Amino acid sequence: MSTKHTIAAEKFLQNSEKVTRHDQTFWSVRVKRDAQSQELPEWEELREAASQIKKHTITHLAEYLEKFEKNATKNGAIVHWAKDADEYNEIVMDILHKHQVKKVVKSKSMLTEECHLNDHLIKHGIDVVETDLGERILQMMHLAPSHIVMPAIHITREQVGRCFEDYKISPEVGNYDPTYLTRCARYHLRDNFMTADCGMTGGNFGIAETGDIVVCTNEGNADMSTSIPKLHIVSMGLEKLIPDYKAMGVFHRLLARCGTGQSTTVYTSHFRGPRPGGEMHIILVDNGRSKILGNEEHWQTLKCMRCGACMNTCPVYRRTGGYSYTYFIPGPIGINLGMLKDPDENYHNLPACSLCCSCDNVCPAKVDLSSQIYRWRQGLDGMGHADPMKKFMSKGMQVLFESPGLYTTALKFAPIANHLPKFITEIKLNGWAQGREMPVFAKQSFHELWKKGKVKA
Amino acid sequence: MSTRDEILDNLRKNVRETYDMPDLGFKKRIFEDPVKAFIETTTTTAGAKLMEIKPNDDINEKIHEAYPDAKIISSNVPGIKADRNPDTVAEAQDLDGTDVGVIMGGVACAENGCIWIEQTMKEKAICFISECLIVIVSKKNIVSNMHEAYEHIQFNEKYNFGTFISGPSKTADIEQSLVYGAQAARGLTVFLTE
Repeated sequence: MSTKHTIAAEKFLQNSEKVTRHDQTFWSVRVKRDAQSQELPEWEELREAASQIKKHTITHLAEYLEKFEKNATKNGAIVHWAKDADEYNEIVMDILHKHQVKKVVKSKSMLTEECHLNDHLIKHGIDVVETDLGERILQMMHLAPSHIVMPAIHITREQVGRCFEDYKISPEVGNYDPTYLTRCARYHLRDNFMTADCGMTGGNFGIAETGDIVVCTNEGNADMSTSIPKLHIVSMGLEKLIPDYKAMGVFHRLLARCGTGQSTTVYTSHFRGPRPGGEMHIILVDNGRSKILGNEEHWQTLKCMRCGACMNTCPVYRRTGGYSYTYFIPGPIGINLGMLKDPDENYHNLPACSLCCSCDNVCPAKVDLSSQIYRWRQGLDGMGHADPMKKFMSKGMQVLFESPGLYTTALKFAPIANHLPKFITEIKLNGWAQGREMPVFAKQSFHELWKKGKVKA
Repeated sequence: MSTRDEILDNLRKNVRETYDMPDLGFKKRIFEDPVKAFIETTTTTAGAKLMEIKPNDDINEKIHEAYPDAKIISSNVPGIKADRNPDTVAEAQDLDGTDVGVIMGGVACAENGCIWIEQTMKEKAICFISECLIVIVSKKNIVSNMHEAYEHIQFNEKYNFGTFISGPSKTADIEQSLVYGAQAARGLTVFLTE
């Protein structure tokens, strides 16, 4: 069956060197994650605890949000609520206007991608500078992230070097050494940190009991973004809330181990209020999350903490790349979140799963990703998106399997197919024949062998 | 109805079954010698250096020993000879150009090298903008894992900020090549005191 994903994947697969590198890069992260998990005897207990804490928090979210709001306000932060992307973008613009902001330095936030914030800000004349190195590279190249944690890993050092030369931040033309290029970006971003009027961050966790916003990075860019400008805006999805520090201990031990195979990120920063003489705004964004809570089959996607482990392990993601998916979040969690956001646009990603269930086994919050994909597939016909050829074949199989006489006759003549020329058995209409060899039918069926007493126990 | 109330209302309406908070009393990994484990993690995976400081050592000499080429030192730690002080600079930008920042660490965690830094200075930029960072950690404050660490972190109410730092700033965003010194400190040395 051809969907936008399969078509894009076919194109991606044409460059086998690129596919191999992509596959090996993410598999190596999976291997590092395994090493980290095996170091902790309590690993499975941590995963179970994370799953249960999330289930508890999500099903008591209104109370926890009220508690969070109360404590954050007490600490001096200003809390806003946004029901959708439009309202969120407006709130950000209002704050920036009030402070006459010209330049924003931003640390990585998938929520701002979800709401298309950058486009909105640029339209209103704001200079937006992404400060995570990968995100900055993509911003300069006018590309979207292809992974939620390692957004630019598919770009080669030569491409980065040439891009930096174009932007005049790499003086040594032809120098593509990653250390040198990282240094160039460091100086370039330093200049931007010094002159920005506002720092924007996401939030990996919000802690209800204390009102803390927790942001984890390796580069320290969220901290640079919030240590120099006096204005700090946090954008956080409702589901990022957890109850207290006891819960934080559990999630801290899981996040980096699952995401990048490290025992921690370099920085785990707790923002509990504004800087002296500054302002801190926290925007809590719904944008469909409260509706997902009401979806009996898929509400547990809200347990996701965006670590990216499901992508790293997914054999389809590793071999087809992030851009093959129609939703901005790729991989197993992206397939599910895309369906929840807009099924007519994102059902194209449903074939991007072999149901190997590897994602379920690595997810730190035990989201049942592959079972959810299976359930979406069952609903495709009702949505009018079932593949007509598969439907026709299923109908045929139903007729066959429901009539024993017809089945036995068909089986008897099946070996004839062994002698048919390939252009008949591998015709284009049969999508399953593409990339697969036709199986050889046995001369005698199991049924016949059994009857003749040829099957020995 | 305000957006806030609408969201809270929807969340309450859409919950079908509720779940209890789990018991987190399961057994967690503890090191027999957390100090030894902390030294090991800090100097390997975290990518930092570590110097043990004896009670009679001159700390300013030790700073010079750790970073002999440093020209500008910033700190508000009593007893440190500093060129700039994060409490008295007019703006955070004034700390740019710091070769070595010296700060105090709180609870430190053996399993991952995380050191809690409670903001006790006007400009927290010192923790990130300095080319290299020295963090003073007492052996008495070292615990095994993050569950224990979170029981001990403290917040200065005046500043409302704290961060766990484990080693120097790093990135692997270009072809997965590990590079130290992305946006924040390029190097980190732990001064381990008794």
